[in-house]
Amino acid sequence: MSETTSDVILESIDLVKHFGSSGFFGPPTVVHAVDGVSLTIRRGETFAIVGESGCGKSTLGRLLLRLIEPTQGDVLYEGRSILSLDAAEMRRLRRDLQIIFQDPFASLNPRMNVGDIISEPLWLHGLGSKSDRREQTAELLRTVGLLPAHADRYPHEFSGGQRQRIGIARALAGNPKLIIGDEPVSALDVSIQAQIVNLLEDLKERYGLTLVVVAHDLAVIRHMSDRVAVMYLGEIVELSSTDDLFENPLHPYTQALLTAIPIPNPQGRRPKPLLQGDVPSPTAPPSGCRFHTRCPHARSICKENHPVAENAGGGRMVACHFWREIQNAGSGALSAPAQSPALTKRMELYMTWRERQEQTKNSNG
Amino acid sequence: MIDNVALHARSADTTGATHSGRDALLRVENLSIRFDGAPPDVNVVDDVTLSVAKGKTLCLVGESGCGKSVTALSLMGLLPTPPARIVGGSAYFGGKDLFRMSEREKADMRGNQTAMIFQEPMTSLNPVFTVGDQIVEGILRHRKVSKSEARERALEMLRRVRIPAPEKRMQAYPHEMSGGMRQRIMIAMALANGPELLIADEPTTALDVTIQAQIISLIRQLQDESGMAMILITHDLGVVAEIADEVAVMYAGKIVEAGSVDKIFMDPQHPYTIGLMGSVPSIGRRQGKLATIRGTVPPAELMPKGCRFMPRCPFADVRCVTDPPPLAEITPGHSARCWYAPLEIHRGGVA
Ligand SMILES: Nc1ncnc2c1ncn2[C@@H]1O[C@H](COP(=O)(O)OP(=O)(O)OP(=O)(O)O)[C@@H](O)[C@H]1O
Ligand SMILES: Nc1ncnc2c1ncn2[C@@H]1O[C@H](COP(=O)(O)OP(=O)(O)OP(=O)(O)O)[C@@H](O)[C@H]1O
Ligand code: SF4
Ligand SMILES: [Mg+2]
Ligand SMILES: [Mg+2]
Repeated sequence: MSETTSDVILESIDLVKHFGSSGFFGPPTVVHAVDGVSLTIRRGETFAIVGESGCGKSTLGRLLLRLIEPTQGDVLYEGRSILSLDAAEMRRLRRDLQIIFQDPFASLNPRMNVGDIISEPLWLHGLGSKSDRREQTAELLRTVGLLPAHADRYPHEFSGGQRQRIGIARALAGNPKLIIGDEPVSALDVSIQAQIVNLLEDLKERYGLTLVVVAHDLAVIRHMSDRVAVMYLGEIVELSSTDDLFENPLHPYTQALLTAIPIPNPQGRRPKPLLQGDVPSPTAPPSGCRFHTRCPHARSICKENHPVAENAGGGRMVACHFWREIQNAGSGALSAPAQSPALTKRMELYMTWRERQEQTKNSNG
Repeated sequence: MIDNVALHARSADTTGATHSGRDALLRVENLSIRFDGAPPDVNVVDDVTLSVAKGKTLCLVGESGCGKSVTALSLMGLLPTPPARIVGGSAYFGGKDLFRMSEREKADMRGNQTAMIFQEPMTSLNPVFTVGDQIVEGILRHRKVSKSEARERALEMLRRVRIPAPEKRMQAYPHEMSGGMRQRIMIAMALANGPELLIADEPTTALDVTIQAQIISLIRQLQDESGMAMILITHDLGVVAEIADEVAVMYAGKIVEAGSVDKIFMDPQHPYTIGLMGSVPSIGRRQGKLATIRGTVPPAELMPKGCRFMPRCPFADVRCVTDPPPLAEITPGHSARCWYAPLEIHRGGVA
C-alpha cells in the first residue's frame, strides 16, 4: 500500500490473538480468533469489517483499542505502538479512541443511571464542570433520539434499541478521534438507524472523525463506508473500496455473502443458494485456504497452499488462488426488484406534504 | 458447496386467513400494559390485537421503544409485575387463557409448547454454566428422556444452528462465544423441545447474512414439518419480506397498520409505515443522505391526545391533534390507524 504515514490514523501489523482453554475434557484447545491481520485505517474514513459470525471481528476491534492484549503483532496509533504505552499514556489515549460494544446490555453498568454512564468519559478525563457535564449529557441524549429526562433512569428500564443508543451517546461524549462501532445500529429500526447513520456522517464531516464499523447489515455498510474488509476465520480475505466490492466481489466468500442479502420486497422471494459444507472450527482451521471446505470453486491446490493476499488493482486486495478466473461469479445478485407503483406514488405524496409542512412552519416562525 | 434447493422459498401468503383470527393458535385482544409511575392515561402497549395461526409467521415491526418486547414478554408471562401491569385485554393460546394461568402452569408451558428467543442473549444465558448444560437442562425439564438422549438432542440442535465443532462448544461458557454464537445458542435452546409457538425477538441481529439465511431456512423447515407458529420481532425489513405471512406495524404502543406482507410492502397506508419504507438504505450505489422520519417519539407526559404519530406526520391537521384515529379496515385483511387513509383519496389533491 502506498499511503503516506500522515494519512494513516491506526494500523495493525500482523495481529494475532489466540484464546486457550484449560482442556478439562481432553487436550487443551486453542481458538485462532484473529490470525495475522494487517490493515491501515485512514484518517476521516469509514472502514467496515464484515464476515461470518465468530470469524474474529469483535476480537479484532478489541485488539485495535488494546482492550485485550494480542498474542503477537502490533498496533500503531498515529505511528506509535500502543502496546508500549504505560497506564497513564493509555488513559489519555482512551479519550481519543472509543468503542460502541456489540451487546449493549452487558456493557452498561446496571447500577449506574444513564446520565452517569454517558458522562463517565467526561469526568474520567476531568472535562468540564458538573453543570457543563449535565448539559452535555442532555444534549447527547437528544442527539441520539432520547430525552434529557432519561438521564435519571437505569439501563433495565430501556428497550434494546434505546440501550444501544445510550452506548452510542457515551462513545461520543469525550469527542473522540476514532470510534469503533461493533454492530452500532443492529438493534435499531430503520428510521432511527438512518438518523444515527446521518449523525455519524455529520460528525465525520465536522470533526474529521474516523469510524471503524463492524456490521452485518450490508445495505448499511454499502451506504456509509468508504472501504470494506471481509474476514473469514480470523483472516482478511478481501479488502476493497465499497463500490468495487459490491459491484464486483472477487473472493468466493464475499460472493456468497452478497447473494445471501435478504431483499426488502416480498415479490422478490426466490430460492437462495446456501453456503453448504461444515462450518470449520477456529480451533482447527482447515489447511491451505481456510475457505476451501465450503468453496464452490475449490481445487486440490486450495487444500494445500495458503493463498497469499494479492494486489488486485485499485487498492484492492484478495486472498484466493483463482480470483482472476471466478470474477463475477456472484455478482448480478444485487438487482433489487423495483418499488411498487403504489409505494412510489405514496412516497411522493409523503415528500410533497412534508415540504409543504416545512414551508408553513418556516413562514410562521 | 452451493445447493440451490436447500431453501425452499415459499411465496407470500395473501389470503389473510391469519388476520381474521378464527383458526388462530394465539389470539391477543385489546392488550394494554403500563408501567407504574408513568402518567395515568399513557400505556406502553395500548389496545393491541393480533393473532397467529398454526404454521404461519406474524412479523412485528416498529420504532425502537414502541413496545414490541414488552408485548412478547407479557405473552410468555415474563414481564416483571410490578413495575409492569396488564391493565386490559386477553390472550388465548390454543384455547387457554394466558393471563389466568398459575405460575406453575406458565412454567410448564414455557420452553415446551411456547418458546422465546430473547433480544439480548447475555441477559438470558447463565454465565456460570456451560452452554451444553443449559440446553440439556432445558430438554430434561420438559421431556422424559435420559441424560444421554438429551445430550444427543442438544448436539443435534447445535449442529442445526451451524455452531462449528459442537462437541467442543458444548463445554464452552457464554463469555467464550461471539455475539452471533450466543444468539444461535438461544435459538437452539428455544427450538430443542419443538414448540408450537415461537416468539423470536430480533433473533438474527448478530448473524451475518449467510448464517441468517440458514437459520431462516431452518425455522421454515420446522414450520413446514411441525406447524410451528411464529411471532417474529425484527427491524430488518429484508427478513420480514422473506418470511412473513402477516405484518403488524407498531408505533408508540399501538398497532398502526396490519395486513398481509404484500399489502404492507407494496401498498402501505399509514404515514409511519410509508416513512419506514423510505428509510431503508438501498443495496445499490449510494444516493445521498438517508431519508428519515423527522423528530422523535414524544415522552409519555407529552403524548398527544389524538394520533400518537401526529407531531411527526406530514399529513396531520387539527383533527389528528384531538381525536385518536381507530384501526380501520381499508381492504379486507388490511387496516390502518389514520384518519386520512387511503391518502390519495383524502390527501391526493395538493391544495
Ligand atoms: N474470551 C474468550 N475465550 C475463548 N474464546 C473466545 C473468547 N472471546 C472470543 N472467543 C472466540 O474467538 C472467536 C472469534 O470471536 P469474535 O467475538 O471475535 O467473533 P465475531 O466475528 O465478533 O462474531 P459475531 O459476528 O458472532 O459477533 C470465536 O470462535 C469465539 O468463540
Ligand atoms: N422496566 C421498565 N420500566 C419502565 N419503562 C420500561 C421498562 N421496560 C421497558 N420500558 C419502556 O417501555 C417501552 C417499550 O419497551 P420495549 O422493550 O417493548 O420496546 P421495543 O419495541 O422492544 O424496542 P426495541 O426495538 O428498541 O427493542 C420503552 O419506551 C421502554 O423505555
Ligand atoms: S392520523 Fe393524522 S397524524 Fe396520524 S398518521 Fe394519519 S394523518 Fe398522520
Ligand atoms: Mg462480534
Ligand atoms: Mg425490544
